[in-house]
Amino acid sequence: MSVSDRPPPVEVRNLNKQYKDGPHANQEISLTLNWGEALGVLGPNGAGKTTLVRQITTELLPTSGDVRVVGIDAVANPDDAKARIGVVPQEARLFQGLSVYRHLRIFGVLRGLSRRDARERADELIEELDLTAHRDFNSERLSGGLRRRLLVGIAMLAQPDVLILDEPTVGLDVESRQRLWVVLQSYRQRDAAVLLTTHYMEEAETLCDRIGIIQDGRLISLDTITNLRASIGHEYKLVYETPEGPQTLFGDDHLALAAQLRSQGIDEYAVMRTSLEDVYLALTQQSRNESGTDGAD
Amino acid sequence: MAPTDRLNPPGPRKFLSDSLAVLEIHALPMIRQWYLIVLGTLVFPIPMFYVFQSIAPDDAAVWQRLLAGTLIFGVSFSTAMLVGQQIVAQRFMGHLKLVITMPVSKAAYVVGTLAYTAISGTLSAVFLLGFAFIAGVEISPTWTLAPALLLTVLALAGIVLFVMSFAPSLPVGNVIASLIAIVLVIISPVYFTMESAPLLLRWFGYISPLRYAADAIAASLGGRADVWLELGILAAYALIAMGLGLWRLPWREK
Repeated sequence: MSVSDRPPPVEVRNLNKQYKDGPHANQEISLTLNWGEALGVLGPNGAGKTTLVRQITTELLPTSGDVRVVGIDAVANPDDAKARIGVVPQEARLFQGLSVYRHLRIFGVLRGLSRRDARERADELIEELDLTAHRDFNSERLSGGLRRRLLVGIAMLAQPDVLILDEPTVGLDVESRQRLWVVLQSYRQRDAAVLLTTHYMEEAETLCDRIGIIQDGRLISLDTITNLRASIGHEYKLVYETPEGPQTLFGDDHLALAAQLRSQGIDEYAVMRTSLEDVYLALTQQSRNESGTDGAD
Repeated sequence: MAPTDRLNPPGPRKFLSDSLAVLEIHALPMIRQWYLIVLGTLVFPIPMFYVFQSIAPDDAAVWQRLLAGTLIFGVSFSTAMLVGQQIVAQRFMGHLKLVITMPVSKAAYVVGTLAYTAISGTLSAVFLLGFAFIAGVEISPTWTLAPALLLTVLALAGIVLFVMSFAPSLPVGNVIASLIAIVLVIISPVYFTMESAPLLLRWFGYISPLRYAADAIAASLGGRADVWLELGILAAYALIAMGLGLWRLPWREK
């Protein structure tokens, strides 16, 4: 099958999740993840990001809608779909009393590798993830960053078509986060697709080709970062200080913005491209205004 | 991208290798903590044996029944503690989440867990049978002792799996795991026969799998092998309890 003939790694159509006596956690979500692409899902706490991820990874049954993983109906055939996905769940914990190597070897078997392949792959991943010095450490002796790296390694064991990570770097220090980014970027280069949820804008900007923003269970935006910037209408911002505190001026022409400030007697300012955080805040606020909610979370 | 052609497809071979992997997940950490199995087996059942022995008549059949009760207490206690606490911890602390994301069937997870239970139960039984020699209990075990012990472990493990599925939190689950075997042993006629049990316990004895286990084990220790009815009832209990436990185990949330 040629690359163009392959069904997309993940295809979600009109996905709805209504919890019994609870919120409508996902409403009519549709998105397609492409080969070799990294898609970031952003949204406030409780917006429905994890619900979306759990339905794609087959942990949670949708109320209605389709989820296809490499063309496999993930609702009807969860085990077949799971064989194509590597998952780093948000609240997963490693097993106490099992070393790094044993985690990788045993979970390699659970992923479907033969015992011999699982042993070889465990050794490969230990080297690839720079875990050699901790190979025989039990999981409870690992730092938060090393544990997360091992969880990512477990997800990568069978070299799945799709990696799905739910807030993979939450709570990690800058160095651990950046090391994990290197691992994920290198995995993407193998034509795999990556779907991740995150609260870190820098992470989304560094890793992702497209960004989806979820608010109140709805996908309010899905596009490249450049197009999202364009969608809020301002490519640049100038940040300056006033006695009332820092102020921001948005616009498309940074020279015109600078001239405007100088005309007001403000000579010290910083010119920046509109950040993903600005885009995120603008789009979520716009969505709240349209739906009439205050966004309390 | 993925070497899916090299992966074990779903089927009996994958099921077996998944079950063995789950057994490893349970058993490997316990190898370093083997003393917990020994303690769990011995710390309550042996003192109980001596308490009952001090008030029991000096009769071989009575002592064999006491030993049967001790075996059931030890095996049940270690099964409930180890399986119950592991299952509830894996469920509430996020370990199970990691297994659920794998292409692994719920049944393979349960079979691996039960295999671990059966091994730890066998170890408990071996310790306690060794104790029988020290305590001077005369036994002439028949082959039916092994299936009786195994079915006891499986029936109790099924009950624990099922009951644990209702645990709303980790602390509650741990309390249930600690109490379930003790309560079942105390209210079932395991240290004494149905005929000598008080009326209330006799009623419970009709439905308690541990009473049938005690009848089968006591007879097997006394050199008898005609325990088909008891083994049949235990097997039915094990199947029903494991089926219910499997059905209730959270695997795919609705």
